[in-house]
Amino acid sequence: MKRRAVFAGVVSVALLSSSLVTSLGPTANAAGTLKIGVSLSLTGDFADSGTAAQKGYLLWQSEVNKKGGILGRKVSIKIVNDASSPDQVVTNYTNLITQSKVDIVMGPFSSLLTIPASRVAKRYGYSFIEPAGGGPKVFLEKNPNLFFVQPAATTKGGDIFADYILSLPAAQRPKTAAYVKLDDPFAAPLADNIKARFEAAGIKTVYDQTYPSETADMTPVISGVATANPDVVVGGTQNADAFAQVKAMIQLKLNPKFLFLSNGANAPVEFPKQIGIKNTEGIFTSADWYPQSTVPGSAAFIKAYIAMYKGTAEDIDPTSAEAFSAGTLLELVAKKTGKIDNKTIIATLHKGSWPTLVGNLSWNAYGEPQGAYLLTEWIGGHLKTVYPAATAQHAPVIPKPAWVG
Amino acid sequence: MASGQTLIFGIMKVINLAQGAFVIVASYLTFTLFQWTGLNPFLLIIVTTPILFALGAATQWFLLRPLRPSDAAELSLLVTFAVALGLEGALSVVYKTTLRSVQPGWENHSWTIKGYQVNEVRFYAFLLSIAMLAILYLVLAKTKFGRSVRATVQNPMSAQLLGVNSKAVSAFGFGLGVSTTAAAGAVFGLITPFNPGSHYDLISRLLTIVVLGGMGAIGGSVIAALIMGIGAALVASLSAPIWADFSFFVVLLLVLLLRPRGLFGAKVRGAL
Repeated sequence: MKRRAVFAGVVSVALLSSSLVTSLGPTANAAGTLKIGVSLSLTGDFADSGTAAQKGYLLWQSEVNKKGGILGRKVSIKIVNDASSPDQVVTNYTNLITQSKVDIVMGPFSSLLTIPASRVAKRYGYSFIEPAGGGPKVFLEKNPNLFFVQPAATTKGGDIFADYILSLPAAQRPKTAAYVKLDDPFAAPLADNIKARFEAAGIKTVYDQTYPSETADMTPVISGVATANPDVVVGGTQNADAFAQVKAMIQLKLNPKFLFLSNGANAPVEFPKQIGIKNTEGIFTSADWYPQSTVPGSAAFIKAYIAMYKGTAEDIDPTSAEAFSAGTLLELVAKKTGKIDNKTIIATLHKGSWPTLVGNLSWNAYGEPQGAYLLTEWIGGHLKTVYPAATAQHAPVIPKPAWVG
Repeated sequence: MASGQTLIFGIMKVINLAQGAFVIVASYLTFTLFQWTGLNPFLLIIVTTPILFALGAATQWFLLRPLRPSDAAELSLLVTFAVALGLEGALSVVYKTTLRSVQPGWENHSWTIKGYQVNEVRFYAFLLSIAMLAILYLVLAKTKFGRSVRATVQNPMSAQLLGVNSKAVSAFGFGLGVSTTAAAGAVFGLITPFNPGSHYDLISRLLTIVVLGGMGAIGGSVIAALIMGIGAALVASLSAPIWADFSFFVVLLLVLLLRPRGLFGAKVRGAL
């Protein structure tokens, strides 16, 4: 009984102090170090991308501190691991705001985690600049504190592929299509958008299936695609399933004329490692930032990245550039307004256009960016922009060359 | 994988929630040894099997043996789950969380037979699992250790009275069950990209197979694995992939409702 009473007392004190901390609100740290809190998937399904985002955030922290911080305040980013869990991400952001008393929070990886995380930020009146949650459900939250740091909603990441395919002469255009989608708020709607465009243009759907995230072996799914024998395969993918889809296609000797993978294929290091660099040839994906980008600041970003993490420009995951850009936005707001608090960030970002590594960003009322992605293709072992023509580094390679096994 | 799991249950009545994590450990060991030596991953099983055996025996000796017999069944669930989390954490520190796969260069090769593609790795894996089962059978049926194991399964008290060192048998039995993950891990690493968290997806399937086959029935686990594997593949390709994993749990529920001892499980005592 005594133990229970002590336990109840401790819990009560903890709850009381937690509510007191909460009542202090987002302006608790008005001066001194600018504390920023981020929850990232450093383990679990999104670990690769979470780690890439971590690199981007930490690189920005290092670079901004070299310049004296923001408005003279040193930047300190606290990153905690959510293990790719939507439950843990809520706990993490609640703790960052109420216990760690960070001044600002920025986003996790994936729409799945961004949605619950952004609700926490909104509840406490925090701005929520986030680099990697752009599925439609994110914007259906109607959260005016949220700003997605990519050129467009990720479900529009395939629009550029649809634009390209529909721009082809009738003789080159595919007649049949298959859609293989991960059950995920980002991946499946992206493929569905392409499907709607293709069907409206007369490209017949011969296969359309969604698989759960636990699917490790894609062979049964790709067997269904192989039976349908489509001209174009659209994969609504994240990382691991994109690798598994390609492996299954190689094993089943399914080589469509066009293959588009929404995510995974844009991982410059992991994708060729997992499927073999020669097998990457002719695979399409979309991108916002790429190593050859001529956007102002890109060369300096690459130089700083290599200095901090070694490797080459080709090793840089776009997610790192997106996370870096999320930090850049804070610098830009501070520079423009002379202030760095949540209300100012929210009010300021809703106006005008903001230059970042991933393009000039502007948002609608609920944080959906209003730009467009670029179409990239693996050519000669590198990702190259191929469409639209104005920004293309190379002509598209079609039809897709055969697998090399 | 499943035969090892069911063996562990048969001997010790322990549901080993770390069996999937041991598979991932084996995948990483194969990955590392392949990076170092370039040898055929199937050959590397000869090296990884004793390592996994030692890991399994150590787990039983240091973590499960000290449990009070009256609480052992329940607490072993927690202990083995903790082992799984510990292994996941250790692998995350050593290997980071990047996806890895074992790539000898022929992992995606297939034979075309009458229009169907037969993946070479899966074919060799099939042969390997038959070989593993044959070895398990020989060990259990033809050796003194095997007789001790069977005696312990059938009646632990009588076995002890007849001079069987049940503590040693339990540790060796657990080690033997875990050692089967060496082969499973090599194949898993060849077939699919993995990271330290990949064991969660394995363990649910594994438990379903063991329940369907009958807890403790090695032959039953083989039949159950075939039924579940083929069943899930058929559901995925003929119906919808989204139902493939669900079908595992439908089967699990039906078995628990209609035939709780599984297809080949004994009514009262374990059967091997």
